[in-house]
Amino acid sequence: MKMLAIIRREYLERVRTKGFVISTLLIPLLMALIMVVPMLTMQSVDTRNTIGLIDPSGEYFSRLDESLSSQEDLHVSLIPLPVTGGDVAAATAGMQDQIRDESLDGGVVIGDDFVGTPKATYYSRSVSGSIVRDDLQPALDRVLRQARFARAGVPDSLHAFLSERVAWESLSVGDTGEATRRDEGGVMLLAFTLIMMLYMMVLVYGQQTLTAVIEEKSSRVVEVLLSSVPSSQLMFGKVVGIGAAGLTQVAIWTAAIFVMAGQGLSVGGISFDASYLTPMILGSFMVFFLLGFLLFSMMYAGVGALCNSIQEAQPFATPIMMFVIIPMMLMTLVLRAPGSPLATVLSLIPMFSPILMFMRVCLASPPLWQVLLSWVLMSATIWMMSRAAGKLFRVGILMSGSAPNWATLIRTLRQPD
Amino acid sequence: MAPAFLHVNDLGKSYGDVRAVDGISLEIPRGSIYGFLGPNGSGKTTTIRCIMNIILADRGEILFDGRPLDRTLLDRVGYLPEERGLYRKMKCAEQLAFLATLKSVPRKEALRRAEAWLERLGLGEWKDRKVDALSKGMQQKVQFAATFLFEPDLVILDEPFSGLDPLNVETMRDVIREQNARGCTIILSTHMLAEAEKLCDAVCLIEGGRKVLDGTLQDVRANFPLKSVRAAYAGGKEPPARLPGVAHRAFQDDSWRLTLEAGADTDAVLDALRAAGQLTLFAANRPALDEIFLSVVRERRAAAGTEAAS
Repeated sequence: MKMLAIIRREYLERVRTKGFVISTLLIPLLMALIMVVPMLTMQSVDTRNTIGLIDPSGEYFSRLDESLSSQEDLHVSLIPLPVTGGDVAAATAGMQDQIRDESLDGGVVIGDDFVGTPKATYYSRSVSGSIVRDDLQPALDRVLRQARFARAGVPDSLHAFLSERVAWESLSVGDTGEATRRDEGGVMLLAFTLIMMLYMMVLVYGQQTLTAVIEEKSSRVVEVLLSSVPSSQLMFGKVVGIGAAGLTQVAIWTAAIFVMAGQGLSVGGISFDASYLTPMILGSFMVFFLLGFLLFSMMYAGVGALCNSIQEAQPFATPIMMFVIIPMMLMTLVLRAPGSPLATVLSLIPMFSPILMFMRVCLASPPLWQVLLSWVLMSATIWMMSRAAGKLFRVGILMSGSAPNWATLIRTLRQPD
Repeated sequence: MAPAFLHVNDLGKSYGDVRAVDGISLEIPRGSIYGFLGPNGSGKTTTIRCIMNIILADRGEILFDGRPLDRTLLDRVGYLPEERGLYRKMKCAEQLAFLATLKSVPRKEALRRAEAWLERLGLGEWKDRKVDALSKGMQQKVQFAATFLFEPDLVILDEPFSGLDPLNVETMRDVIREQNARGCTIILSTHMLAEAEKLCDAVCLIEGGRKVLDGTLQDVRANFPLKSVRAAYAGGKEPPARLPGVAHRAFQDDSWRLTLEAGADTDAVLDALRAAGQLTLFAANRPALDEIFLSVVRERRAAAGTEAAS
């Protein structure tokens, strides 16, 4: 009953703040922007790049132009540049002048004997310009292949047959045994969005526990509260109340992602696929947030009970933060081989599970027992942490005076009740 | 006197090598206003925190109504800590209601009482303002309301008047008297002895973690020798220059203050005064609490000093 009152206050005081409302609305809006803006700019790139072609033989311009025009979503318009008296060097110099004064966006130089030595040199102000390369390279490839086919005497009827490319499809095998199609880019993007969200939320809300405990301590409210409720109820009430506020926000954001993914939005050609957000992924996202939050906020609550200011808490907060940063650094390791024994072991370490195990759930469909085991291990750790934090709360909450250090913390933990 | 409501028996609490409370025993009568007095750092707050079960005592026994303090009893005890503690970002009425629900008052009832108390303390307009916006004195009144809102049977007030102007002190004194009349036992911990004297039925003085003296206000005074009397004559006549048992005389506030010699007989002094003319005033100049306590504390410190020296 009393704990409910504490949970209620903790929850409402958070949810009612402007900051909470703004961040809850702003993040989905930002995500939408991140997705929509590239889509808009993609379309606006429609203003084509004018690319000059230096072709001493004069044979290839029309073929290349034809090959380009067969492509969808073209960003290049090609113009032939004159080569007077076969002087490629002079023509190239002239082209470079044009690029410099921006009358050309770029230029391509191919050799006299393109079919014999297929080499193309691309000139532009910026070396990156992948849009142009992505258009020109395959077009040149096609021109080369056709010329070589012609040279080798391959009949026209066989051209299409010989040029056929492998049709690639990625399927993921889930626990239910059915294989579902996945757009790898989309899956990665969604997975990383969720992982980043998890990472951020666990940290942000964990630290809110720290701030809340310290604020209560420094404003001396804690003495009034302790004259009404036992310290354990106070601690659990606070942690649960803050966690509930976090869960509210996470739920709203997840719903927003779900809706956006359902709209079939895409980023840079990578499309979101709502079907990817399986109940397993969404459900474990919530569970990992909740367990991760509880784990970290228990640590923060215990530390907060000893400290009188945020400054005093710094030396403790940094090592706790390492538990979140280390798995972020191990992500690529796990990503390379999500099913390897190393990845399995790392993802079962309770402090790392919210990020590493969840990443495996997103990308590798690990065996269910491993996921459940990580939840059990996390819960056990949370229980131990809550005992330690409860002790720190009971003994440390009224401590004041000199700034605490790790020695104080260990001494306090060892003290008899 | 009524039977004791709160028993403290041989309470002890040390912080490291410092003995903050060193074997204090108290009996606080039901329905009394009990002054828990002592200089700064004498162990008052530590004793109170032990009584409220906020910190664990090293030894000793605390009984409410013959029972040790448990969770249900906690709901009958109010506590105003020395350093005020309110959530700065919470609205006044909301805050009071929250603190009352922690004492098991149903939420609706708590809100109703919160508004009534704020109204009564002249803070009606402030009920939806955050505590941050209030002056120190107003915050103190809110804290006062929080302590009494749930109609406790026992209230412990730790330095309740610090930082209040005389007008507010008067208001708080009225609240304390009224709640006491309702049947609430009140423990008033303070170093402001004049305030204690106005309010308390019984007092206890502690110094250096130990009890120095306790009892009803009357007993404490009775055990302390009278040091002066006041007298005045009709027509403003001066008292005789030499009187038996009087060491010194001085005119002060429309009357004569006669300082008595040690062991002087007050009856003899009165007889001598009456023989000299028609008295309009003769009064025992009761020693103020602070005089008594100052002399007791000084005596003890002097004794401790010679002990340490020898």
